[in-house]
Amino acid sequence: MSDDLDLARMRRERHRKVVDALDAQGLAAAVLLGQPALTYAVGARAPAADVARAAHQRMIAIVTADGDAPHLYTAFPEGVPSELPADHAHAALPVEWPEGAEALVEVLPDGPIALDEYTMPLHAALHGREVADASALLSTCKIVKTADELECIRRAQAINEEALLAVEPLVAPGVSGIELSGVFLRRIFELGASANTVDPIWQVMPRRVADGPYSATSDVVFPTPTTNRQFAAGDVIWVDTGIDYEGYASDFGCTFVVGGPETRHFDQAARWREIVDRALDVLKPGATAGDLVRAATTDEGRRPWLPHLYLAHGIGTNSAEMPLVGTDLGDEFDDALVLAPGMVLVFEPIAWDDGNAGFRAEEIVAVTDDGYERLSARDGGPRG
Amino acid sequence: MAEGLAQALDEMARQDVDVLVLGREGNARFVSEATRLWLAGTRPFAPGCVVVRETGAVHLLSVTDFGVPAEIPPARLYPMSWNPANIMGAVAAIPGVSGAQRIAADGLTPLFEQLFTATFPNAQLADGEAVMRAARRVKSAAAIERIRAAISVAEGALGAAVEALRPGVREVELKGVFEERMCRLGTTTPAFEGAFCVVDGDRRIRRLVSERVIAAGDLVAMSAGVLLDGWEGSLARTRPCGGPTADQRDRGSRWRGEWTQLVDRCRSGVLVGDLRATAGASLRGVGLGYEGLEDGAALEPGMVIQLELEANGVLGGDTLLIGDGGADMLTAFPYGAAGE
Repeated sequence: MSDDLDLARMRRERHRKVVDALDAQGLAAAVLLGQPALTYAVGARAPAADVARAAHQRMIAIVTADGDAPHLYTAFPEGVPSELPADHAHAALPVEWPEGAEALVEVLPDGPIALDEYTMPLHAALHGREVADASALLSTCKIVKTADELECIRRAQAINEEALLAVEPLVAPGVSGIELSGVFLRRIFELGASANTVDPIWQVMPRRVADGPYSATSDVVFPTPTTNRQFAAGDVIWVDTGIDYEGYASDFGCTFVVGGPETRHFDQAARWREIVDRALDVLKPGATAGDLVRAATTDEGRRPWLPHLYLAHGIGTNSAEMPLVGTDLGDEFDDALVLAPGMVLVFEPIAWDDGNAGFRAEEIVAVTDDGYERLSARDGGPRG
Repeated sequence: MAEGLAQALDEMARQDVDVLVLGREGNARFVSEATRLWLAGTRPFAPGCVVVRETGAVHLLSVTDFGVPAEIPPARLYPMSWNPANIMGAVAAIPGVSGAQRIAADGLTPLFEQLFTATFPNAQLADGEAVMRAARRVKSAAAIERIRAAISVAEGALGAAVEALRPGVREVELKGVFEERMCRLGTTTPAFEGAFCVVDGDRRIRRLVSERVIAAGDLVAMSAGVLLDGWEGSLARTRPCGGPTADQRDRGSRWRGEWTQLVDRCRSGVLVGDLRATAGASLRGVGLGYEGLEDGAALEPGMVIQLELEANGVLGGDTLLIGDGGADMLTAFPYGAAGE
């Protein structure tokens, strides 16, 4: 790992971007209740938790357009960034209840604000205020990463990939995904992960889409939750794991074949490689998401990725964020999305052979001044 | 009909809600009994599940029926979209939704608020979290059994962490040991990433684990929990690394004294706010994960609560089932050396 990571500098640069965006949009403040947005704007930490607990113990940040240090409300003082002035770190505000919501409204500056999400009591308490959606504002700040942010993603990915090394030797007939999760989770914490953010996925793929489960898109179903189903020889398993480092997500995808891959599995992986390489060949500043989509689309006009997901997505304090490439937002959206240095793309097409399952992996790159650099180090197999 | 759905429909009738739009996974699971992919952290509101009072039907955002009970056929699934307007369109197309007078949501974003207003200009928007909180509060016998099963996993996993507590181990490693054992005992989803934190005298106990190396003589506060099929089992204990010192025994026995008094006060009819007024005490509902309890709520039979007390540099917590009089302890993990 590179030693060149300065967390205080990263926080300072991100805060500056949010302040500039507020100023540009004529907003007085951003009021942030969601963890990914708050992580971005302030850099405060709280223990990872199930959605309901995370909501009840949520941190709140108020970032003002005057450029002053943000105000942070948290139940976890040990997660407050060291440079935040003491009089800007406050006790948590329980906005699940009217009293907490009203207390938050009391401390907001006058003028139009941007907000990422409401609790229902906060919605009631803000009645009559001008409230813009903060997600677009945050998105414009987040889409281009600083060097420190790229390093956080690189480190998160390195931990994720190394933890998978502990799992791989265990893949065998009779083993279940639950067992692999146990080894994986233990290993990521030993290696310094800040959190696990998604139930690790070890999905046994059907040979044919028609073998089920039911698919609303008539295409491959992925991902599904981990079960105690035991693997059998020849099973094709799609792996997808995501862990956090300093608030930054990672995304590792690979394909296991229980008992070891055969020629057809290597052929599928080679086809996957070609799809990604076609997209990478056109990836440089100034290219559009539409250019990537057209490059990755097959000669027969098929889009080799899951129709409800994407060819590629960005990654940062959200596990999937802008730039989104090849979604159902459509061609116009893709053509308007111009790629720039510092943007990150996680490519995750699939190479599917109906009757013989298929191959899926993920590859993370950052756009550079003249092309791209890889942030993920390991390839996706096939392994086993 | 699923038990949770019946309870939710009753509460919708009581609060005069025609359509319930749920974004929080615990709420969605309560009415649907569906298992979808577990994700950590806050999620901005999106309509992940819809309950229609008129038809009694549950509709789910899902591209597949994997993990979805047979009572919810594919016709009641609506697909994921990156365009929020498409999702709102799918919700509006659900039978019984378009004529709704009162729609309750368990959260909102400014964008979805606009879409609600534009899609249902004549409907009133109500607090769906309040509906679900009321529906989920009193537990059925079956729910209590699910919580007991989750507690059993949590206790087994905590036992592994206690076993691993040796000089030289890092706090983060104890978290890893807990989660590995949790998986071996049957679930891959924690209720939250646990605290395994060295106590620094009388200072507030940290809840974020660090890389700190635990030394002989350290007192370590452990608070952790699991979700088994979505149901929560959690507990907290404090353990010394090595044999307890005289000071640690003293802290432990003082904690036990205060704890016993606090637990004795957990009786039907007592106000949550009164219990929370005890210094260091925290209290919440337990079910399909964390459940909010307002200060003004009174304990009542069938409620399951998580009670924690941080006092004298000791953290402990248990899950209690409120009965007609006092409470039954659902957790049974020994208090151990710090509390002997």
